[in-house]
Amino acid sequence: MSDDILYSIRHLTVEYKTRAGAVRAVDDVSLDIRRGEILGLVGESGCGKSTLGKALMRLHDGPASITGGELWFDGRNLMDLSLREMPDIRGAEIGMVFQDPMTSLNPVQRIMDHLTETIQTHEPETSIATARARADELVERLGIRHERLRDYPHQMSGGMRQRVMISLALALRAKLVIADEPTTSLDVIVEAKFLDLLKELQKEFGLTILLITHNIGVVAEVADRVAVMYAAKMAEVGTTGEVFADPKHPYTQGLLKSVPNIKLDGGDLYKMGGEPPSLLKPPSGCRFHPRCPFVMDICSQEEPAFEPVVADHLASCWIYQEAGARNSSGKHQVHNG
Amino acid sequence: MSPIAIIALIIGVPSLLLLAYVFARGSTGLRRYILTRIALTLPMIFILATMVFFILRILPGDPVTSALGPKGTPEMIQHIRATLGLNDPLIVQYGRFLWNMITLHFGNSLVGGHRLILDEMSERFPATLELIIPASVLALLIGIYGGALAASKRKQALDYSLRIYSVIIYSLPIFWLGLLLQLFFGVRLGWLPISGRIDAIIGTNLKTVTNIYSLDALLSGNWPAFFSVVRHLVLPTITLGLILSGVFLRMTRINVIETMQADYIGAARARGIRERILIYGHALKNAMIPVITLIGLQVAILLAGAVLTETVFSWPGMGSYLVERISARDYTAVQSVITVFAMLVALISLAVDVIYSLVDPRVRY
Amino acid sequence: MAKIDEQLPEALPEGATWEVELRKVGFVRRLFMARRWYGADWWFVAISAVGVFAFIIIAFFPGLFAPFSPDALVGPSFLAPGAHVDLPVLVVPATSPVHTLQDLAVPAGADRSTVAVIEGAPTGGALNEQSQKIDQVIKNQPGGLRLRPIIDRYPTLEGTLQAVVNGIDKSAVVQTTQFNAIKAQFPTLRVAASITGVTSTAGGFMLGTNDIGQDVLSRLLWGTRIALIIGFSSSIVSLIIGVPLGLLAGFVGGTFDRLLSLLMDSLYAFPGLILAIAITAVLGPSIFNIIIAISVLYIPTYYRIVRGQTLSVKEEVYIEAAKSIGARSREILQRYIFPNVIPSVAIIFSVNVADAILTGAGLSFLGLGLPPTIADWGIDVARGQRFIQTAWWMITFPGLAIMLIVLAFTLMGEGLSEIFNPKLRDR
Repeated sequence: MSDDILYSIRHLTVEYKTRAGAVRAVDDVSLDIRRGEILGLVGESGCGKSTLGKALMRLHDGPASITGGELWFDGRNLMDLSLREMPDIRGAEIGMVFQDPMTSLNPVQRIMDHLTETIQTHEPETSIATARARADELVERLGIRHERLRDYPHQMSGGMRQRVMISLALALRAKLVIADEPTTSLDVIVEAKFLDLLKELQKEFGLTILLITHNIGVVAEVADRVAVMYAAKMAEVGTTGEVFADPKHPYTQGLLKSVPNIKLDGGDLYKMGGEPPSLLKPPSGCRFHPRCPFVMDICSQEEPAFEPVVADHLASCWIYQEAGARNSSGKHQVHNG
Repeated sequence: MSPIAIIALIIGVPSLLLLAYVFARGSTGLRRYILTRIALTLPMIFILATMVFFILRILPGDPVTSALGPKGTPEMIQHIRATLGLNDPLIVQYGRFLWNMITLHFGNSLVGGHRLILDEMSERFPATLELIIPASVLALLIGIYGGALAASKRKQALDYSLRIYSVIIYSLPIFWLGLLLQLFFGVRLGWLPISGRIDAIIGTNLKTVTNIYSLDALLSGNWPAFFSVVRHLVLPTITLGLILSGVFLRMTRINVIETMQADYIGAARARGIRERILIYGHALKNAMIPVITLIGLQVAILLAGAVLTETVFSWPGMGSYLVERISARDYTAVQSVITVFAMLVALISLAVDVIYSLVDPRVRY
Repeated sequence: MAKIDEQLPEALPEGATWEVELRKVGFVRRLFMARRWYGADWWFVAISAVGVFAFIIIAFFPGLFAPFSPDALVGPSFLAPGAHVDLPVLVVPATSPVHTLQDLAVPAGADRSTVAVIEGAPTGGALNEQSQKIDQVIKNQPGGLRLRPIIDRYPTLEGTLQAVVNGIDKSAVVQTTQFNAIKAQFPTLRVAASITGVTSTAGGFMLGTNDIGQDVLSRLLWGTRIALIIGFSSSIVSLIIGVPLGLLAGFVGGTFDRLLSLLMDSLYAFPGLILAIAITAVLGPSIFNIIIAISVLYIPTYYRIVRGQTLSVKEEVYIEAAKSIGARSREILQRYIFPNVIPSVAIIFSVNVADAILTGAGLSFLGLGLPPTIADWGIDVARGQRFIQTAWWMITFPGLAIMLIVLAFTLMGEGLSEIFNPKLRDR
């Protein structure tokens, strides 16, 4: 694995056991996250992006489990570790910022204690005084006044709480920060400030950020690269500029067309036909084929590989591939993009 | 000083201090909350006392006549009725009743010696306290720890066994449990006494101040007495405590499981906080908040259980007093006892609400 | 609930799929599919439903199951469970037409029947006693039969039985166990009947007898009737009063609601047993009064839940929608609110019956409420308390019965609760 790749996700599959059967929320997904970049992961609700984010820390909701794939983080396959060793990585090397800061903070715990607890959990030799001092420094950098640390979560504003969440993720200088829909519960102005903050932190601390969102606008603003998920699979990956200028996958095309553009003069809003598929019984072949305006015969028969179309711009679509383009072992190739 | 007064002081003074502290330091929201709760307690006592009053007045017979039995001549009956004011209009009686309750003038026992009811209660009430306090503590310990344990080992054998335990305990008639314990530990094994509060001989040597014998024994350094009381306490406490623990266990378990599904637990887990700390530290603390209010409601079960436990173990507390007095048709006493119970219930509810407000920072600030 | 169309739902199913599936199958199949879905809870409900059903059957037909009448003094006092009562039985030749002691009666002038007994055994006395009893009855009847058997005494058991085989005596009276031990030696003899007319189950009282000789098992089975009567009746009364009040309070609101709720809260907080004690003390001991006393206790429970549900349903948007198309209050109540309330009420009812039985048992244990002549578990336990040193079975079995019936109803309520309102779905 080359040095500029911090996290290499290979053929990850996460399954939910439901009463109706097994559902794959993430199905054979491969993705590389480069050091120091902000990678935006977009897709509709239910496409599996949140599940993917959590799986990067080997976290999942109750009935789900990681049933396949490898998670190469910083030279180690996290799947090789026992579950008992994972808490050491969580919070220390990989951090997470959640969608709703109000519910993500313990209502009966003071903010200061949130921070010191995290610090002392990972570095038990730290004295409480040192921990408090570090917490002070941390939040100051993020614009929270020292006195506010004694507050309880419900006494703070939404934006401040979100900044607390960031500081929690950064408390131990995590290398990778996963932000799961961090701006969804914020209003536009706070959101803008938040994104600026994100970019600053990236530069200052050399953070790598995986930004999971359904809001394409946010991605366009801050992300260096974009990954698009559809129905538990990777549809497209590339630099933001390229993907926005020249989307390869028909789904991405539709997605970009659906964004209301204030500059358009009149005209109807574009709406993609059809509905997202059930993951219990996904469509055969390419999952997007029932809704695809360019559907061909082969699309309903075989799944396309996730391959480069142009250098570092990958997509999984038969338009750019030939039927026999797979290698003899029948596996998809993942080329570092 | 009478034992009741002493107990009232021991409990009352710190409570008032705490209340004052809370008032001084708390926010306006907190103050308003506490005042509202106090204001609601009074109507509650009032309603309950009224219910008691009317229930006992709709007797299809005359209490005095049945109390005196065949010995009562018409003149005696009239005389006593007049003394008790039973011939006055209902409204007047009601007013007098309320006033008496507030000033703790319970009157005399109708039957068997005309003892001052207050005197009798000053022996009985501490006895009941001596039973229900350790029982509650036991129930809380088993219930809360067991509930958290069951939640942590969810869907495994331990969880199911604990749930079965709590359902079975709930279904056990408390008097039956008491009798079984008596049978096994008292009769079969002979380890523990099965009735009374203290060995008779040792009891006569005990200098009683509060009438809570264990406390009195400690205060006067009377170790034989202390151990005797403890030995007598074991079985009744276990009986009452076990039954209550079932309810607490269920409540705690459900609340901890629900709390564990909260976002902030997931967020903490994502920071590397270990499961054990998540359950016993974070989730349990949060789960305790609704559980506290639910615990307050269990006072009713506690007191009902106390009545039965005291009867089974011949423990001379308020509960057995009530049953005795009813069989003896001593309605003045019955009335007084029930009113005291009502006051107890109301006060404990109030205390629980105040504690709740202190524990939940969302109310405090 | 999610919209139910023919198409399977999008995204990750969170229980929606099985709801869709449910609608496609019939009720009975649903019950069995439920087993796969609900796991342990299904078993709880199933087993407890069987238990409840069993108890109900017993309550309706106790005579079918109970070997004796609950009040009959059928045996010696303090018989331990399973102890064999050595009943004295009549032994006759296999071909003899004699079936009971009474069959030995003969007309006044005829030869009196002869009965062999062991010398010195108590069976002789029992035989005399029983014969006299029967004789007193039959001598006044037409037919002129008298029962005054001649008793021959023999030194040994074998001798006694041999006399019957040889025809010297018409019959013999020996203890059951004695005969059973030696039966093989006398293949031509059979047991006709016990001379007291009492047949015990396999020669023993399965759960023993109490202090005055009543069969514990029979009292247990007959006690089911009282327990269930009290349990069901009081719950139904509470329901009839509590549910409408709750609906009304929730729907109408205002001061009416506040006053009623204050009253109900006070009632709810007060120890139920104590209130029931007070009420029964006032009204006097009878089943009817107990039912009234206990039902008062549970009215607040129904009231609170129903009121809560009504309030939350009232807030739902579809009520506003209904109002906007002109539905009247009564219709809204009937069509929307009431059906939503029913599952909760069913659950409460189940748990309520359990509680009512417990409270009722507590009351009768304390000696308040039921007249002491009724066969009731609580009374039996109280009775047993006096003899705890000698007869442990007097308290053990009635108490166990209480526990089992309460357990059955509680489990059913719990299981139903999990099924109707699954609070703890896996996420």
